[in-house]
Amino acid sequence: MAVTLSSPLTKTLKIALIGNPNVGKTTIFNQLTGLNQKIGNYPGVTVDKKKGVMTYQGNSYEIIDLPGTYSLYPNSEDEVIVHRVLNQFSELEKPDFVLMVIDSVQLSRGLFLATQLIDLGLNLAIVLNMSDLAEKSHLEIKTFELFKKIGVPILRTDARHQKGIDQIRELIHQQNFSNPGPFIEAKEFLDTNELVDVREFFDLDNDYRAYQLLRFGLKDKGLAEEKIAWISKKLESVKTDLEAAQLEETKIRYRKISSVIQEVLVKKETVEPEESKLDKVLLHPFWGYLIFGGILLMIFQAIFAWASVPMDLIDGFFAELSSWLIETLPQGPIADLLAEGVIPGIGGVVIFIPQIALLFGFLAILEDTGYMSRVVFLMDRWMRPFGLHGKSIVPLVSGVACAIPGVMAARNIGNWKEKMITIMVTPLMSCSARLPVYIILIGLVVPNDHILGFINLQALALLGLYLLGVLGVLATAYGLKTILKTDEKSFLMVELPTYRTPRWKDVLLTMYNKSLTFVTAAGKVILAISIILWILGSYGPPTTMESIRADRDAKIAVAENPEQVEEIEREASSALLENSFIGIMGRAIEPVIRPLGYDWKIGIALIASFAAREVFVSTMATIYSIGGDPEDDATIRETLDSQINPVTGNKVFNKATAFSLMVFYVFAMQCMSTLAVVYRETKGWKWPIIQTVYMTTLAYLAAFITYQIFS
Amino acid sequence: MTADQLSILDTATIEKLQESPLKVNLMELGFLPGKKITLKHIAPANGPMAFRLDETLLALRKEEAAVIQVKLIQ
Repeated sequence: MAVTLSSPLTKTLKIALIGNPNVGKTTIFNQLTGLNQKIGNYPGVTVDKKKGVMTYQGNSYEIIDLPGTYSLYPNSEDEVIVHRVLNQFSELEKPDFVLMVIDSVQLSRGLFLATQLIDLGLNLAIVLNMSDLAEKSHLEIKTFELFKKIGVPILRTDARHQKGIDQIRELIHQQNFSNPGPFIEAKEFLDTNELVDVREFFDLDNDYRAYQLLRFGLKDKGLAEEKIAWISKKLESVKTDLEAAQLEETKIRYRKISSVIQEVLVKKETVEPEESKLDKVLLHPFWGYLIFGGILLMIFQAIFAWASVPMDLIDGFFAELSSWLIETLPQGPIADLLAEGVIPGIGGVVIFIPQIALLFGFLAILEDTGYMSRVVFLMDRWMRPFGLHGKSIVPLVSGVACAIPGVMAARNIGNWKEKMITIMVTPLMSCSARLPVYIILIGLVVPNDHILGFINLQALALLGLYLLGVLGVLATAYGLKTILKTDEKSFLMVELPTYRTPRWKDVLLTMYNKSLTFVTAAGKVILAISIILWILGSYGPPTTMESIRADRDAKIAVAENPEQVEEIEREASSALLENSFIGIMGRAIEPVIRPLGYDWKIGIALIASFAAREVFVSTMATIYSIGGDPEDDATIRETLDSQINPVTGNKVFNKATAFSLMVFYVFAMQCMSTLAVVYRETKGWKWPIIQTVYMTTLAYLAAFITYQIFS
Repeated sequence: MTADQLSILDTATIEKLQESPLKVNLMELGFLPGKKITLKHIAPANGPMAFRLDETLLALRKEEAAVIQVKLIQ
């Protein structure tokens, strides 16, 4: 990493990067700062604060990447942040200069925001990006004319092809930003006498800023309480209709911009844009959905195929590390805690990285090519009846691989209610961690037969479990839609950008940043819970535990061969688990889970797998002291199949119990990593707790019904 | 008529935007009186509609398009 500290004599200059969505702002940010980026938080909102450091000719500059927006009007959380930073409500976040990125093909829309920034009195420079696209569309922008009309420095770049980036660096270095004075005067659209005391109270020298503060100040929870109170009071006495003023401002601004554009933009010829042909297929009412389905299938295949290799390596590495620690460290509780609690806990965090990185890599490609907003267009209609948004399709689909990236992807949904519903239901999609549990249980009770000659019954059962998950998503989303309340209006209004080849560097950076965010934000919680679970699973009332160990050692002393020793050790570890605190808890919850068809041994596995579903399989292996390779499904299956209930004399894993368990795992939360991510995304424990309670309740009821049907 | 009543490939001039909380959002996207829009795609079952406005393709829900009052160009 480069040195990020500026010399103590000079203050590091802060430059805010702003622009409409899809203008290549992030590419410029990445190229200016490289890997020298930091993701932080803005107080009161879930929007990430993206900062980076640019070093140029020995100087450092702080670059703030603001969320994309069409105007200063704060409609979503993202835009509240833009509004806050640019209105300079808080000294800490105050930028010295603003670099405005405009898509050359979308000049008028870009100038709308740019002229608002000018009216705020900010020192500004404009980057006309995507000059290649403008050429393709046969547009010519007379840059010098535009400069004369607007009055701020203008650069032309093609960031995707790394053209013009050095000029941006030079411009920042020269501090070549300026403000020519208002583009339109506030008095053109409202009575500025109303603003006099606002300017006085907030000590402002600018009418437009005073108007912005009065009109939108209440939307920002970052403002000090007494200031909010003052604005509320002032709003009661304001005679001007501020909403009408905003409309008037918009009209006047666009009128003036179009007169500017007439003089600076030369349209050589009108050509039908290329994407029309592609869109005819990709947005087709039939082919469009089919292709989307095909792309999803390909992505999942790739994730399963590519993620399993690094995941096995990570798994193996941490297992090796644990056994190495056991051998190297002196025996004792510390060595045990490290080898069996901390190391597997860290491993449990790291193991998710391949899936998260791959999924976000694919999502970044879909986003970058412009295809993702087409998917939103196709799916919106089918999501809305359930209180979801077209954008909810991304988290839900990701959930089939892993709920963690799914929940993380939900932040793109602007509407609070739709975002919350999406986060709450995404973990109900059957993720890849449920698969081992499903497969073992299906293998136990569903015959490997075919019906109609070609449909495999086991495959059918598996499909049924996935569909049950989807059904759970839709039903729960519908329920939440009627419960959650919001004043925010849901809207779509999304641009379907020109198709482009993905920028691979940006894709890699997204993969890196998302993985890092997961490890740093969720890692601590996951580690803490795994250590607690390990302690509960390895300690119990000392006298019982000691006598089991003494008994084991005595037996081993008289054992005749290594096989016998192994057998004794297996039985002892099974007995130790049964008598540990988790074992005691498993017994304690037996009355509660009996109606679901479970005994206390399954209860232990349920509690132990609260951290992660896949633990169910290994815990069952320990409880039933299964020898051989615990990863081998066949051995586990055989042992489980031979378990007889001592009271009834029937098999423990009959059809009813096995199906009840499968259904339980379809709906139960049983994944602390997801919980940790929901905690991060919702900024508190309220929603993760609600989520765990409702999912567990749902799982219990559904498992109960299943057991009653099959028994 | 309003923009949601257009048929596919119809081109129309925007006359005005009707009163709605979404009015400003539509305006900032560039749906302004005098502009020409062409309906390019409609998602199935009354889904969103995609309009070409200048050089961009913009998707709106049907009820959002209903805010835009237009005059059909023959």
